[in-house]
Amino acid sequence: MEPLSGIAVSGTNAWAVWILPFVAALIIPAVGKASKRAAGWVAVALALASALYAATMIPGALASHEIHDQVNWISSIGIKAGVLADPLAVIMANVVGWISFLIIVYSTGYMKGDKDIVRFWFWMMFFIGSMQLIVLSDNLLMMFFGWEGVGLASYALIGFWYRDKAKDHVGIEGKKVLGLMEYYSPTHAGIKAFIMTKVGDIMMLSGMFLIFAFAGTFGFRELMHDTAWATSMQAQGLLVPAAILLFGGAIGKSAQFPLNEWLLEAMTGPTSVSALIHAATMVKAGVFLVARLGPLFFALAAAGFALDQFFTVIAWVGAITALLLATQGMVNSEIKKVLAYSTGSQIGYMMMALGIAGLSRQFVDGYTAGFFHLISHAMFKASLFMAAGSLLHVVGSRFMTDMGGLRKHMKKTYAFMWAAGLGLMGAPFITTGFWSKDAIFAAVYESGSQWAIPLFAIAVLTAVITAFYTVRMIGMVFFGDKSKHLEHMEKEGHHIHEAPMSMWVPYGILAALTIGIGVIGLTAEHGIRELFTEYLANTFHIESAHIAVEQGMTIPFLEGINPVALGASLAAFTIGGGLGYIFYIGRFVDPVKFVNSNIFFYSLHKVILNRWYLNAMVYWCFVVAPLWIVRGVWRYFEKTVIDTGINMGLERAVGWSAKVVQKTQTGITQSYLYVFGAGILFVVLFLFI
Amino acid sequence: MEFALLQAVFLPLLLAPVAYVIGRKFGPTAATWFTFGLLLYCTFLIIDVALSGHYEEHYTWTKLFGEFGFKLDGLAIPFAVIIYVLSAILALYSQPYMIHKFKEFYEEHAHSHSSESGTGQSTALVESTALTTYVNNKSGLYFALYLVFAMGMLGTVLATNLIEFYIFFEIMLIPAFFLVAFWGDGPRRRISLMFFFWTHAGAVVLLLGFLTIGLNVGSFDFTAIQESKIPSNVVMLAAVAIVIGLGVKLAAFIFHIWLPYVHGAAPTPISALLSPAMIGIGAYGIFRLIVEFLPGQYAEMALWLHIWGLATMIYGGAMALMQDDLKRLLAYSSVSQMGYILFGIGSYSTLGLAGAEMMYVTHGLGKALLFMTAGILIVQVGSRSISKLGGLAGKMPITAVCGVIGALTIIGVPPTSGFMGEWTLFYGALETAIKDHATTGSIVRMVTFGLGLVATVLTMSYMLWMLKRVFFGKLPENLSHVKEASWYMTAPMMVLAGFTIVVGIYPDIFFNNIIPYMKGVLGA
Repeated sequence: MEPLSGIAVSGTNAWAVWILPFVAALIIPAVGKASKRAAGWVAVALALASALYAATMIPGALASHEIHDQVNWISSIGIKAGVLADPLAVIMANVVGWISFLIIVYSTGYMKGDKDIVRFWFWMMFFIGSMQLIVLSDNLLMMFFGWEGVGLASYALIGFWYRDKAKDHVGIEGKKVLGLMEYYSPTHAGIKAFIMTKVGDIMMLSGMFLIFAFAGTFGFRELMHDTAWATSMQAQGLLVPAAILLFGGAIGKSAQFPLNEWLLEAMTGPTSVSALIHAATMVKAGVFLVARLGPLFFALAAAGFALDQFFTVIAWVGAITALLLATQGMVNSEIKKVLAYSTGSQIGYMMMALGIAGLSRQFVDGYTAGFFHLISHAMFKASLFMAAGSLLHVVGSRFMTDMGGLRKHMKKTYAFMWAAGLGLMGAPFITTGFWSKDAIFAAVYESGSQWAIPLFAIAVLTAVITAFYTVRMIGMVFFGDKSKHLEHMEKEGHHIHEAPMSMWVPYGILAALTIGIGVIGLTAEHGIRELFTEYLANTFHIESAHIAVEQGMTIPFLEGINPVALGASLAAFTIGGGLGYIFYIGRFVDPVKFVNSNIFFYSLHKVILNRWYLNAMVYWCFVVAPLWIVRGVWRYFEKTVIDTGINMGLERAVGWSAKVVQKTQTGITQSYLYVFGAGILFVVLFLFI
Repeated sequence: MEFALLQAVFLPLLLAPVAYVIGRKFGPTAATWFTFGLLLYCTFLIIDVALSGHYEEHYTWTKLFGEFGFKLDGLAIPFAVIIYVLSAILALYSQPYMIHKFKEFYEEHAHSHSSESGTGQSTALVESTALTTYVNNKSGLYFALYLVFAMGMLGTVLATNLIEFYIFFEIMLIPAFFLVAFWGDGPRRRISLMFFFWTHAGAVVLLLGFLTIGLNVGSFDFTAIQESKIPSNVVMLAAVAIVIGLGVKLAAFIFHIWLPYVHGAAPTPISALLSPAMIGIGAYGIFRLIVEFLPGQYAEMALWLHIWGLATMIYGGAMALMQDDLKRLLAYSSVSQMGYILFGIGSYSTLGLAGAEMMYVTHGLGKALLFMTAGILIVQVGSRSISKLGGLAGKMPITAVCGVIGALTIIGVPPTSGFMGEWTLFYGALETAIKDHATTGSIVRMVTFGLGLVATVLTMSYMLWMLKRVFFGKLPENLSHVKEASWYMTAPMMVLAGFTIVVGIYPDIFFNNIIPYMKGVLGA
């Protein structure tokens, strides 16, 4: 593509975006020795610099300009390292960069006074750098460095409070499901996250290997340039497995079913980490992987390769996750956990959209919808998490039952949480969440796939539940009477007050953006769609059947909106929000009494509260049972057969034979001479024969 | 440089008595720096000639065996560099550790002595001079043996002749035996005998294979073996004997039982050399003798080596989960890692073989780091039982960081070198499975590939669990006084930790040598 003068920036900017956070991580320990405060400033400054570099690439991206810059890396195998800043990567890099920057600013307030703060800054910057590396790499292998980097950073940050104090645990102490405790320490949670995502990672690695074995390259553009590899893979029946294996990485990282259980325990980390994991890094990495590779597979599907199974898997995994996690969000009492469930559920929406895009052959609809939802979710979820962090900071408890009636004391947080919460619920016409969710509904409904109706039904049901749990959360925290915990705090002289400015400003900005962009949501969506239409057409040669709007035309209100999707969206918001209002804001009905009123609700509530028993089953199958087997092998094979049997047996045999040999050492010279003579005779005879 | 390799191999042997004298006269610190300086000089000699890529030296020897030579090629360079880098660095690390150990032995000795005589009236001054003399004498002996051990390992990977190989192979065993027998933990005499017995038995089987080949070819020189055609019925037997002999050294499944005992009991700097550097020489032997010299037999055996490797990987990892003694856990982990190497050797592809050799490098760095961590815990905390540790990250941050980097190297997380070893290794395994997709072997290889990946999760589990129990969680009350170790111990660790990250980001340092060699061997 012709470089466009004036708006084109060099590859250096793209490199700088991901290298700067790593530079920060490198110098922070040294700076931190001198001054902990200075280490914080380094983090803020370089996070800002990285985001600014990302911003310099926007004009080029809007003009569909692509930066692709390579250097030699593992030359003995012919692998190059490079950055690839196409419109997709540039938008993502900006979302990641700016939201991370706000979270870093927020952390200066939230983590104030923590004695391990240098370590915190190191890992935060490492986290951001790894994520930007994922976004900007031009090949799978280099991307995998970032991919594992975010895994490592999440391990370190989830287990940040490694001293495992009781207040840093998640879950309710003593709660048992299927005989196993569901109460986890930070270090346990870190390991759980690292290992569960690693399961996804090795699937992704296998997929990468399969493709590399046929294509001989890891490069995204190289793979697109010549698709002979796909032909030979299809001939061996390996194309769909390879694609699904690659998607396995996304399942692990984005906490999709069945690798979703780590996400909850990830809440043991500091709240700013949760915000980073949920809004900008980590779980978004999985969606980005699908968005990065999706067009390649769209193009292959358009060229006649049979990839329907692959897209069906993506769509269904997304749908199942969306519903499964949304239901659990309804019953939990820990505020961060509710938000965590919500993230998994919303990511499910994105996956569903990306999957349905491949099934519908109208790629750009689903693709735009999924990615738009990623952006809007990043904004409102980061805002919600940071606000939740403020609540934790002020109240000193992770349980919503320890809050209540806070709306008079924390007016700003209250307002911002409503704004961001409305985004999550998809409040009609004024929030980004509405437009992006509506786009997903429309993409699913119009896809014409055989799964369109069931997927659509799941999507709408999830939306109802989402609206319900959001209102429930806000109701439990801000409405009703003060909890005993709060009364106790006030009695002890704690004044309940708003969080400091460094904290509320970041989430205020994001909450305002949720509404601000929401008002012009349709225009924003059309803009992204237009950009992606061009992107898919130019880079992947995927022509869309209709281009919704011509450039320069004014868009009539609600043009291009599917009425069924719109109706469903409005209904979901009203029903879910209304139910939430009845139970938790108006408090006309006591939810506890309601649940206990009949056996069906009671048992459903119990199943959901026990996480559909999935977590316990994962532990039984992959922790308890293997350990039991290994213990058996250790006791009865290693210790008994090998150690006692072979090792000691040999030792005894040697000892015994030594005794036999000892007997020959009589000390009588004559008998030695006899043996000596016999030996000579034997050798001589042997030589003659 | 002339005689570079001859110097690198024999200077440590010739100067071992000097180290002994220095130790006796001037004490452990002088002996440490002497040993370190000497090994560092030799390391530079190796690196200097290694930069040319291929380098050989030949000397005349007895006619009976052939030529006495040293060869540094793509295969030997990573082995040689890692062996001497580790030896040099661990010499420094030995100083505080061995002084600690000698003092312990002295107290034990003096205690039993005084309780026998029942007097114990010696003044503190006499006591302290006696202690100094004791420590000086012992450290002289330690560093002398240490030097011989290092040169034995280097000689093995540079040898160009079967008999030469065998001699060096046995030379490294002798000092290792004494080091364990003199300063090991627990029932050290029995364990050192067990060590000697197992590895020597392996070496004898190896020798049988060597003799079979040598007598059939009529020469023991590598060059002669490479060019000759050996009758196929005999050579398979020889190949099996060699693999079994080296398998004992590698501590592959079934032959592994000596390793946890020995590596658990050996003085920690020696464990850190034994575990990654010495047992991996078994892998070097398989590369050189089987993969390079007997390609026909290698092709037949590859799948079996692959499966044997897989069994070792999983078994070692599973047993590591069950350990409470930190050093034994690491020893079982070494068994598992040797399984990775065998797995890679069995992959029968360029990248798989390259990955297997890279695993030697990365395991060398990672496991050395972890053993050094264990050593620091022994010196600073006084315990190696995992259940008695916990929460130490805040008390000894440098150790904790380096230990975690070591663990990540073993797990294979980028940007440590472990990832570079692992991805090439597993890619190689998969590549072969795909390439001959028409045969049944490919299905087996697909399955082994999948199970191999499961083994990486196992590795991750035992490592992270170990880290959690040692460094994280609640600090036991009796450990609140623990302090960070001295620079002699932490600085070497930081060097290794930095090195593993450099190799992880820029693997060409080793791949540039390894990959052309492996391509040549497989004729690809």
